[in-house]
Amino acid sequence: MALDKDIYSAFADVVGEENICDDPVMMAAYYKTDFAAVIMPGNTAEVQAVVKLCNKYKLKYRPISCGWTGVFIPGTVMLDLRRMDKIIEIDEKNMYAVCEPYVTSAQLQAELFKRGLNTNIKGSGAQGSALLRGHGPMDQSCGADDRNHLAVEWVTPEGDLVKIGSLGSCDEFFCGDGPGPSLRCLVQSTVPPSCTPGVFTKVATKVYHWPGPERYHLKGNSPNYSLAEKPPYMMLRYYSFPSVDKLMDAEYKLGEAEICFILYGINMAMVSANVTSSNEEQEALFHKIAGEVQGPGFVVILAGNSEKDFEYKKKVLETIIAATGGESLKAVEEEPQIEDTLMRQCTRVSGAIRETFRPGGYFKSIPVMGQRDLTVRWAIGAGEAKKPLIEKGLIVDDGGAFFGWGVEHGHLGKTEIFCAFSPMNPEAWKVVDAWESEEGGRALDENYFALTMSPLDVIDEKTGPKLSNYHLWWYKVLDELDPNGVIPLKGVSKLTP
Amino acid sequence: MALEEYAGDYNMCCRCSACKFVPLQMVKGFEHANVCPSISRYNFHFYSGGGRLNLGAEALDKGFNYTPRYLDVIYNCQMCGACDVSCKYGMDMEVLRPIQELRIKAVQDGHAHPALDKVVDRMRKQGTMVAGKGKRGAWAEGLGLTDAATKKVDVLYHVGCLTSYDKDMQKVAKATASVLKKAGVKFGILGDAETCCGGRAYEMGYEADFLAQAKKSMEAIKKTGAKTLVTSCAMCYQTYAVLYERFGLKGDLKVVHSSQLIAELIGNGELKPKNDVDLNVTYHDPCHLGRLGEPWAHWEGTKIPGDRFVFDPPRPYRRGTNGVYEPPRQVLAGLPGVTLTEMDRIKEYAWCSGACGGVTDSNPEFAEWTANERIEEAICTGAEAIATADPWSEKLFAETIAKNDGALKVYDIVELVDQAI
Repeated sequence: MALDKDIYSAFADVVGEENICDDPVMMAAYYKTDFAAVIMPGNTAEVQAVVKLCNKYKLKYRPISCGWTGVFIPGTVMLDLRRMDKIIEIDEKNMYAVCEPYVTSAQLQAELFKRGLNTNIKGSGAQGSALLRGHGPMDQSCGADDRNHLAVEWVTPEGDLVKIGSLGSCDEFFCGDGPGPSLRCLVQSTVPPSCTPGVFTKVATKVYHWPGPERYHLKGNSPNYSLAEKPPYMMLRYYSFPSVDKLMDAEYKLGEAEICFILYGINMAMVSANVTSSNEEQEALFHKIAGEVQGPGFVVILAGNSEKDFEYKKKVLETIIAATGGESLKAVEEEPQIEDTLMRQCTRVSGAIRETFRPGGYFKSIPVMGQRDLTVRWAIGAGEAKKPLIEKGLIVDDGGAFFGWGVEHGHLGKTEIFCAFSPMNPEAWKVVDAWESEEGGRALDENYFALTMSPLDVIDEKTGPKLSNYHLWWYKVLDELDPNGVIPLKGVSKLTP
Repeated sequence: MALEEYAGDYNMCCRCSACKFVPLQMVKGFEHANVCPSISRYNFHFYSGGGRLNLGAEALDKGFNYTPRYLDVIYNCQMCGACDVSCKYGMDMEVLRPIQELRIKAVQDGHAHPALDKVVDRMRKQGTMVAGKGKRGAWAEGLGLTDAATKKVDVLYHVGCLTSYDKDMQKVAKATASVLKKAGVKFGILGDAETCCGGRAYEMGYEADFLAQAKKSMEAIKKTGAKTLVTSCAMCYQTYAVLYERFGLKGDLKVVHSSQLIAELIGNGELKPKNDVDLNVTYHDPCHLGRLGEPWAHWEGTKIPGDRFVFDPPRPYRRGTNGVYEPPRQVLAGLPGVTLTEMDRIKEYAWCSGACGGVTDSNPEFAEWTANERIEEAICTGAEAIATADPWSEKLFAETIAKNDGALKVYDIVELVDQAI
């Protein structure tokens, strides 16, 4: 589905011949969609010009940054933002960083560490864009989702440039809501479709205090790195609990105490994935440590600013764990390499691929937002529903486990559960799709706010009626923002073959 | 292994983009986070390891369509294996080998790169990858080295095409011979009877030619009676030590890189560097000595039926863990007056020099761009010189620096050793 010659030339005039490709053979490298072309703008002005041409020629377009996932309809013009890869500013005093879309979280974090600062890397991994919204292991102490976004430079679906927040009234990015226009509700919605209409070209993200070292000095070779020296005021433990009630009691108490740098409720399958370098090793470790926990649990990382601070946090942690019946996982305490590796994986978020894709090759997930002690109960049911699939050998055996954590030391947070399976097994696809639909639907029936990996309009149709039919209003907004119908956010499932 | 046998790997890529960057634990800042020259230079996702696998998956499904852009992607890759290492930090899957198979398939289907065709034709006819005037063994005239073509030897110094023929690189051969002699190593050379290892032809996609050349090379080596082959060329090292082992050609031949041998000689006191070299250097890990130099582990097994990718016996993925990283550093550490300052990207996640995969022949501009990235990284360390252990890398670095009127000096570590003794 190559472009008309004149249209191709118009795009090429903007970005240069070397930054456009409409060879149909090459499109499969992006996604299994018959894109009209891939175009790589290099700056905001080029993004605007490309978007205006898409409007002129009524070509649907979608931008990607580091580009892990997406649903794209045939004929879409892909805006690959890879050339927009600069850290514009790190404002240490006001604690924010301004980045273009292709700065990775790993890059930004490494620069911030040098300055005693940190960013909340999302659970999908440090290879993802530093601008990404979402949740990650550091939600406990580093904010989460759109709350971390401040001022934004936004190219609207029609190609106009809008500076949101403080950027709209001065040349600074310190606030997302003003002085200047606050369009947070339109461009950064945390409800579905949670997908920006138009293109973010620069985003300021809040940064946080980092009590750890300027850099982890590592020894060894990939994938078996280890710390040359353990940071003096950091420790990691995994605690399991005899019941969900005790688990949540501990999570809330630790939140109130505000002592945890990370409180990351992952399961034994995820722990073993993070600290092993192959599936065989992971399987062996999983079977070993799964029998050593008394129930659900979480990883805690303490990071002290001083010896005194560290000792205080340890004491509080021990007190709360003792009061809630928590048990520390022996493997972590007795094998320094496990603590070491898990600490680095959790803080640098470099084990996401091991957790999700390595075991089976693919995964499907249901993240649910809300009151943690309620969503955990939903997740237990979703886990039980996984067990027959595990028994049949269709999905990876993780014991039917789920994971999740609170945000900003609070009672609200994310709970998630996924099935890992082989993408080359059609039967596995079928049963996992059914599981996702049933359990995602059950979450909505029980009034939990569930997202699945379905096309956005499918999510809208399910969640909308539960939430004041927000989607119908959203579609009206989209019609106003996108009079030429070039941003395929509506009816994607019907447009996708 | 046929391309189809990698179908699972082609389809396994989850498009996470880890293949584009150094292993995430090793991202040390904004700069030097990239690891793949091809995606870094050309930006489109199809130039990345993952993008290439996605193309392979599509081609296996729908057939191969050799458009100009597709061929541009196929040949603009140094086959340096950095993507493979970074992917395998997280995944159990093959990346480099399926990419190599796409190039082999292109050659088999009659879509070889014209510039590479010429190079491989030279190998077929003359047994060398480089155009050279005169005789292959001319560099050794007057050095009094043992002629292994006429006298049996235990240790054979395999010089390699570039080091033998290129006037600017013959200094590496001379320095190596000098060091070995001073250390009392009894060795011989094949001189004019030496022939190409064939490794570069394999990387260029000419698998059949590589195998034919490898047979010739091994026949010549066997005639010498050598039990150990020493080479100062990283490409030759990887070819003899890894590729020949993989294809069942190596037999009992022990293959060592000169850096390994010299490190051992210094370590056991047989070589005593005493002259002050007085140099602040940084070290470039050649891809073929480092991550690609990891020993080959033969494996036969089957996937255990079920949901996850586990094998019986466990499948030993090549992740770059066991490359030759320490011996060159030990050598540098053993030289009086030499201070080693490391670059950001080292060992298994080193940035490629640009010299491999046939790119110096098929796209010299891209090769120089890649080299220049490394040279700038070396300059960032404050070092006066970049030392390496591979003539292909050294030559490209030297030429690129000269072209840009740069001041950074370039050495093979064996040259520094020779100075020190």
